[in-house]
Amino acid sequence: MTTPRSRLVLPLLAGALLLGLVVATAAGSVPLPFRGVVGALLAKAGLPVGTPGLSPTGETILFAVRLPRVLLAALVGGGLAVVGAVLQAVFRNPLADSGLLGVGAGAALGAVIAVHLGLASAVFFALPLAAFAGALAAVLAVYFVAGASGRASLQGLLLTGIAVSAVAGAATSVLLVATEEFRVKAVLFWLAGGLEGRGWTHVQAAAVFVFAGVLLLVMLGRPLDVLSLGEDEAASLGLPVRATRLGLLSLASLVAGACTAVAGAVPFVGLMAPHALRPVVGPLSRHLLPAAFLGGALLVVLADLGARTLSGRFELPLGALTAIVGAPYFLAALRANEGRG
Amino acid sequence: MSGREVLLSAHALHVERGRRRVLEDVTLALHVAEALAVVGPNAAGKSTLVRALAGLLEPDAGEVRLRGRSLSDWPRDARARVLALATSEEEGPDTLTVGDRVALGRYPHRGPFQPLNAADEAAVARALEQTGISHLERRRLGTLSAGERQLATLARGLAQEPQVLLLDEPAAHLDIGHQLQLFRTLDEVRQCGVGVLAVVHDLSRAAAWADRVVLVAAGRIAAEGTPHEVLGSTAASEAFGVRIRGHVIPDLPHLHYTFGDGA
Repeated sequence: MTTPRSRLVLPLLAGALLLGLVVATAAGSVPLPFRGVVGALLAKAGLPVGTPGLSPTGETILFAVRLPRVLLAALVGGGLAVVGAVLQAVFRNPLADSGLLGVGAGAALGAVIAVHLGLASAVFFALPLAAFAGALAAVLAVYFVAGASGRASLQGLLLTGIAVSAVAGAATSVLLVATEEFRVKAVLFWLAGGLEGRGWTHVQAAAVFVFAGVLLLVMLGRPLDVLSLGEDEAASLGLPVRATRLGLLSLASLVAGACTAVAGAVPFVGLMAPHALRPVVGPLSRHLLPAAFLGGALLVVLADLGARTLSGRFELPLGALTAIVGAPYFLAALRANEGRG
Repeated sequence: MSGREVLLSAHALHVERGRRRVLEDVTLALHVAEALAVVGPNAAGKSTLVRALAGLLEPDAGEVRLRGRSLSDWPRDARARVLALATSEEEGPDTLTVGDRVALGRYPHRGPFQPLNAADEAAVARALEQTGISHLERRRLGTLSAGERQLATLARGLAQEPQVLLLDEPAAHLDIGHQLQLFRTLDEVRQCGVGVLAVVHDLSRAAAWADRVVLVAAGRIAAEGTPHEVLGSTAASEAFGVRIRGHVIPDLPHLHYTFGDGA
């Protein structure tokens, strides 16, 4: 059921994201002129317009530093928001998030193992793959431990998620202690979530996994919708519930793992973007997932802009910034949710 | 009823949960266009029976057959095009509209990738119409009363265009007006040959609606027959622990039942 209002949401979000991308590439410790950025981007896209371009230094900053970082922020935000929307449908709780189900902690552990073993610098795709493996292992652990008794209750899943997160977090701490001191700072910063120093190779690595995963998840939108009705109803509609759930969780882990590998932990994005958009576009995947992608992308682009520019002296960790905004949002949503139920 | 084709049948079903036997040696049949009410006290195994009949639960022994073919031999989607289940406990997402909820009933016909066509939209509109909730099509589930949500679940089942409709307490949250509407809808659906098996809590309602009543008590079929035969049996009085009496009321086509203390 598309209402006129929900049909406007996608173009509006796309426009806002485009504007956000340009503003975020222009702003920073070395501000670039807005018109110059637009002109240089259009020229790069093969649409040269008469506007004055940027200085050679400005061009270097734009294309080698700002643009990959901002695009990466959009990819990570979009990916995490889609993952959140999918997990919320699979677990039938509007407040489920990759962080709450151990996906983030598992991905972090996988990535730290890769860093610890020195694989991350040796093999190009090792870090995203290790993070994906960690995320998938966490999801499967949650799924099988909570579902061991036959039917998994939501409460059981969420509590198991907390336990799995704790174990993964503990293992991460142990590994950090065992890691050479000169690497620890990099790993710590990475765990706090951030996009400092990320370049085109990161964009490429993330784009492959995020686009492929999100595309497949959108294609599987209708089974996801059926699944969100509950296990019994989904099964009575002919859906192979277990296989569908495992497939969707694996794809979600793939995307979450790739995002965590390039940006570290960026909490609450997967909760906020879908939660804010669901009342507007409705819960059907073919509407919600694209909207969540754009909304999550915009959110992280703006959060990363804040991380770069809010403090004059140092960069704030991106994950800390989304947590500061996201945690109160989560608590407010939780209260509203409990008030209703 | 014996002259009509059997749509769905259970043969010596046994279901255990842990070490407790929930269903024991249950055999029954649902025929074309039949209204079959399953009654019984709480925890008698009625819902388990419905879940086993719907294929949601694998029986420990025995077999369920749909149109003569073992339920486990049916491909999932083909089965869901013939057999629909609606219970009173189902909840879609709060922000889902009634129209979208009912349209998901077309999943077995279209599968994951094909878009809905005109026939699907007609089936959805018909299901909304039959359940009397066309005016709620654009409303979200979270804004509905429990009874309205229940009608939306039933409409989803009708949108599947099944030959067998299984209902677990379809009238649980409905006021008397909506109850009558619901059972009228079921009668309308039966005119097209659909067999309806419903767990019904209200014995008077079961007697008024059903062609046949099955009494389930402690996991077994304690009595089976016309409403009069079953409700008038000592098995029924014993199962519920009450005295059940049927009264003839002029102009009423069926007996009116009253319930008193003590079997």
